Amino acid sequence: MKSGKIIRGIILLLAILLPASFYLIFQVAPSEKIMGDVQRIFYLHISLAMSAYLGFGLLFVSSILFLVKKTLYWDTLAFSAGEVGLLFSTLVLITGSLWARPVWNVWWTWDPRLVTMLILWFIYIGYFMLRKAIPERMKRARYSAIIGILGFLDVPVVRLATKWWRSIHPRLAREGGGLDPLMVKVMLFSLVTFLIFTSLLIYIRFRVAWAEERINEIFNDVEDYNG
Amino acid sequence: MRFAGNTLAIVRKDILLEFRGKEALSIMIFLSLLLLVIFNLAVDIQSENVASLASGILWVVFAFSGILGMGKTSLSERDDGAYLNILFSTVSMESFYIAKVISNLIFLLLMEVFTILSFVILFNYERLIRTFPALAIPLLLGSLGFSIVGTLFSFLSTGSRFGEIILPFLFLPLVVPVLIGGVSATDIILNGSPGESPAKWLKVLVVFDLLYLFISLILFRHIVEE
Repeated sequence: MKSGKIIRGIILLLAILLPASFYLIFQVAPSEKIMGDVQRIFYLHISLAMSAYLGFGLLFVSSILFLVKKTLYWDTLAFSAGEVGLLFSTLVLITGSLWARPVWNVWWTWDPRLVTMLILWFIYIGYFMLRKAIPERMKRARYSAIIGILGFLDVPVVRLATKWWRSIHPRLAREGGGLDPLMVKVMLFSLVTFLIFTSLLIYIRFRVAWAEERINEIFNDVEDYNG
Repeated sequence: MRFAGNTLAIVRKDILLEFRGKEALSIMIFLSLLLLVIFNLAVDIQSENVASLASGILWVVFAFSGILGMGKTSLSERDDGAYLNILFSTVSMESFYIAKVISNLIFLLLMEVFTILSFVILFNYERLIRTFPALAIPLLLGSLGFSIVGTLFSFLSTGSRFGEIILPFLFLPLVVPVLIGGVSATDIILNGSPGESPAKWLKVLVVFDLLYLFISLILFRHIVEE
């Protein structure tokens, strides 16, 4: 059980890193001059966004590998990563909204980054709806892999289109500019922590899903044998 | 050119079939008309606001009527396993897919011309006719994008339960760049100042079309192989 030991090690490490990053975010990082303490949500927000992209990126790669290798292993990894990605992108949209209200005075604005994340969110909702709708296991894997690939490729195109689209409308001024070096350090720390956390969640989700997969296989074999 | 011959033969078959049965096209055309009426009730389109609303309303109508119509054309292929017979013959999957994209594109364009004419009549907006030669370019590029993605997805969703509901859910988020590009280009052609060019938006449409055509050609075989 070598992998079990590594996982326990990572869980232990995160038990230190996660509280530490929260401590850094709320106690150590300096308070932003204009936005005040609300700005602290951004350390979480950016980390969550990168974690969501990690999940969707992994879904994309595993979808390609599934179509090449045709083994359910890659499909299982794809949707495990997708579930975690969807969870984190939901949190990104919520934390972003909570931040925008006091700072921009709106709950939502049609900024390119926001629109891209929202569209991506819809695409992956569609991904899971399609999965639910196809009972045959291999067909479900094939079809959803296609959505996994096409959906992720949409990111740069949506980003480009929304950027140009916004440019003809008034743009909300972006605050910031020079970040305090301490803020950068806290940001990086929380980013790395969350990426490790995300990877762990995906891995654990995958282990559970893969176990289910194999149990189902055994059930089917037994049924075939009896029937 | 075997490939082109096969492709055109399937396109010809689809068009003949459609003009005899008129199923997909009638769904698209009546739905687009209905949507225009609904839009008018919802937004109250007047001569003062029609210019600013036209491009948005038209493209939303194109997208919704289009995707439902495309669902219908692939359903009739699925229904009696007709497409399997085509694929068992010497026709390659790629030429089958291209043929489907072309015939869907033709139906979309017909529906769009009809919608634009209805729009002109219902809302007294003749500028659409006068600018039509310029409008044809975003119309063609945008519809091609719709057809490339819609054809692929309609085959995918008709193979599942509740396919009709899932199809717009998969299609609409993915074609957001087409919608933005199409609406913006149309808007510039209708309302832009003299120096303004829709070129940048046409570029978005071309990039989308090329990228998705290329990927869909690779992926299509994974949908139909069973």
